[in-house]
Amino acid sequence: MYRLFVLRNDKSGRFGGHALISLWALLLCSSIGALAQSAPPALNANAPFSIRATHLLGLPNTKNNCKGTLSTQDNVLRFQQSGKPVAQVDIASVRDVFLGEEAIQVGGLPMKIGKTAAPYGGGRVVSLFAHKKYDTLTLEYVDSSGGVHGAIFQLKKGQGELMRNELVARGVSSSSGEDQPTKQSTSEVRHEDK
Amino acid sequence: MKTSKSNSWAFCAVAFVTVAVVFSGRLAGETTAMKSSGGSSGSGTQWSVQVERIDPGHLDLAHSFQVAIYENLLEELNKTKRFKYVLREGDSKASEISDLLILKTTVVKYTPGSETQRAVTTVSGATKLTVRNQLVTREGRIVLESTVNGSVRFFGSNLRATHNLARNIAKAIKQSNVAMVRASYRDTQPPTLNARGTQ
Repeated sequence: MYRLFVLRNDKSGRFGGHALISLWALLLCSSIGALAQSAPPALNANAPFSIRATHLLGLPNTKNNCKGTLSTQDNVLRFQQSGKPVAQVDIASVRDVFLGEEAIQVGGLPMKIGKTAAPYGGGRVVSLFAHKKYDTLTLEYVDSSGGVHGAIFQLKKGQGELMRNELVARGVSSSSGEDQPTKQSTSEVRHEDK
Repeated sequence: MKTSKSNSWAFCAVAFVTVAVVFSGRLAGETTAMKSSGGSSGSGTQWSVQVERIDPGHLDLAHSFQVAIYENLLEELNKTKRFKYVLREGDSKASEISDLLILKTTVVKYTPGSETQRAVTTVSGATKLTVRNQLVTREGRIVLESTVNGSVRFFGSNLRATHNLARNIAKAIKQSNVAMVRASYRDTQPPTLNARGTQ
């Protein structure tokens, strides 16, 4: 009787110990996770911030589909191509910023020609793996006479959000919804006008 | 045997030259026709156009697509040289221009595509866009109404569909010469004309 009681006590004690240890481990893990996911570092409104980007369209006096550096400094958003004049937009004139996602085939024209030339449909197999996801950053801004402009940039995955946060920290409003990634859907979306 | 071979070669060469000559002639004809239609646009007034932002309707169209259509449309309309000024939405200069048309674009149908799917299958994964565009006078009279498609089927990114769409819209407006001329008599003419200039 006593022995049984003692054993039971012992077991519950062990169980309590285990529970404590697991609780402690859980807390430790969650705190490490929280640290890892820590909030973005406080953005200094005047600190320069720059990333590599591809200008898809929209900026005045800048070629479409050209690579360069997108940066923010002194309340101005700049896009600089190497050896070309800077295109810049006053951040105060940016009305909205949207973030999207797009999967794009990599390799450009040489890759396309190679895939076409590959025998036995080998190019198609290559296409299956030769794609990469990018972020698209869409800006809407107004010029000095009030005209609405739009500009689209393509950035490496994850960098679009950094730039958006940077712009939001500098006072740009970011609309509630993110751009929907363009996925293939079997059903067509249809809206008949009256 | 040799003679028949050389004959066939000669026949091929002649056929090639004939096709080349005919084709170049056709191209030249098209260019002339286009020029003459451009030249006959004069109705006394040269209109300016203000492009409104794209209305996605009830569709879930990505903002990048809306902005791309808008920007490409401005570029393509400028290329047509049919308008005195091509203005953006909200441009304060619009109030100073008397002969102003407003271009309204509403997305009617959108089929999202995938570049990878296009590259792998060739036949599927096309991105398709259909829009209804209206050229409206300040008084709200519809001068031109048309439904235009734009798509990317083989090569290019999904955003290329917006470029093709804008080009087709500009083409439709350019071809609707009659409608533009009639627009100058807006008080006496019927309210709606389609892209071909018929009622």
